[in-house]
Amino acid sequence: MSRLMIWLILGVTLTFLIGPFLIVIFAGMSAGEALAFPPQGLSLKWYAKVFTVESFRASFALSMFLAIFGTLAALLIGIPAAYALNRYDIPGAETIRTIVAAPIIVPGIIVGLALLRYFVVPLNVAITVALFVTHTALVLPYAVRVVSSSLNNLRADMEEAAVILGCTRLQAFTKVVLPNIRGGILAAFILGFVTSFNEVPASLFLSGPGVRTLPIDMLSYMEITFDPSVAALSALLAFMSVAIVFIAERLLGFSRYV
Amino acid sequence: MFLSRSEGLALALPAALFTFLVFLVPVGILLSVAFQTDTGAWSLQGYVDFFAQPLNQKVFFRTLKLGILVAGTAAVIGYLAAFCIVNLPATSRGRIFGLVVLPLMISPVARTYAWIVILGRTGIVNDVIVGLGLSSTPIRLLFTETAVFIGLLQLFLPLMIISLVSAMENIPRDVVPAARVLGASWFQVFFRIILPLTKEGLVIGGTLVFTGALTAYITPAILGGSKVLMLETLLYQKVNVSNDFVSASVIAMILIVMCFSANLALKRIASVKR
Repeated sequence: MSRLMIWLILGVTLTFLIGPFLIVIFAGMSAGEALAFPPQGLSLKWYAKVFTVESFRASFALSMFLAIFGTLAALLIGIPAAYALNRYDIPGAETIRTIVAAPIIVPGIIVGLALLRYFVVPLNVAITVALFVTHTALVLPYAVRVVSSSLNNLRADMEEAAVILGCTRLQAFTKVVLPNIRGGILAAFILGFVTSFNEVPASLFLSGPGVRTLPIDMLSYMEITFDPSVAALSALLAFMSVAIVFIAERLLGFSRYV
Repeated sequence: MFLSRSEGLALALPAALFTFLVFLVPVGILLSVAFQTDTGAWSLQGYVDFFAQPLNQKVFFRTLKLGILVAGTAAVIGYLAAFCIVNLPATSRGRIFGLVVLPLMISPVARTYAWIVILGRTGIVNDVIVGLGLSSTPIRLLFTETAVFIGLLQLFLPLMIISLVSAMENIPRDVVPAARVLGASWFQVFFRIILPLTKEGLVIGGTLVFTGALTAYITPAILGGSKVLMLETLLYQKVNVSNDFVSASVIAMILIVMCFSANLALKRIASVKR
């Protein structure tokens, strides 16, 4: 295949994948009132407006809370599980692995409906708590998988050596294992954060009036209003995700872990 | 090793119990709903009733069709793109690969929203069509199967390309040029060398794209609306519009069975190879 052919094919593919996104960025810069491309005059007013919309601010705060603390909670139970599955010969290890991985395979909308009907309503759980629990469950498989693969690369003799040299088991874990899997944990956190922040189907049924995650708030805003603010907000969120991943890649070679 | 099994179990149990209680139990109950009548007796009536309705049948087959179409198209484009990427010099390969992965980090809402700007009544495509005089009024592009297809393809194509690139990286570099020198056509090169050597990558990518397309909610919701329902959006309607939990449970079961069979098929094909 010639050079020209290669770049032609890649050019078309990348235009299809990324081009629409560039259009959104510009559509958000419109000076007019309606969504259009090319935009009717350039301005940043819609980019400024999204910061003043009360519901966006509230849902952004909720999404941030869920993404950060949901992922931290998933790591809190996920790291010990990954460690145990890697280092111990546990009875039923395969079952445990399957259970923990299940939330990835089951479609999100089913998770949301099931939790609403058979967890939130009967136990009278608050919406925020329900969302927190759901996001933790959805992120947990990623946390276990990424931390596991990072533990796989760490030889078990190092902990054994530490214990033989007089460390307690806990010390061996905190002084030898943890520092060595730091990169994997950070990668798991970022992957979990992005997954949780962008999640829609599972949160759909669980979101109540006034308590919505940001993507769901954007969806319902779109149904009512057809102005460029969602375009502006989409562009801002994309910059945020890309920046996080870019920094992570530079700092620790994020893609090695995922 | 020197670690006891009970310790290991104690470390792994919180995660397993958590997922089991807040996730598997509710999902299990939801799935069982469709197998029971109002009196609590076991029956398949929910399924019979569901498939008796023409709309439900239509949505089921449309979902299946779009899943297969999106996965098939992604495979064709994916092979072309992946072949190009692995033949790039190392530095530009990394950059181009990064650009392919990039969209995966961006919110699906934002990614799908772009197509409204492109395909809407006042969107770019309609501007061009009206501008060129091909039609005097804007034509409806949104809320069509084509729009949903395009949206899903853009959403999941990166997964296919990633799987195929990693499969192709394992083909020894000289094999394709050698075959060409010995007189094989590009057609033969693809079907007799590249395809057999990348089968695993194709299966992994195909499963990811197929199950992704089946279970996507945002894309059919935004680009299809109530005109082009898919199983996920139909489920949402059954719950929020008609309060029909039996149908919702049937749809949930269908989706899960489809995803699990795709995953099982993947496991089987992938393990036969090794």
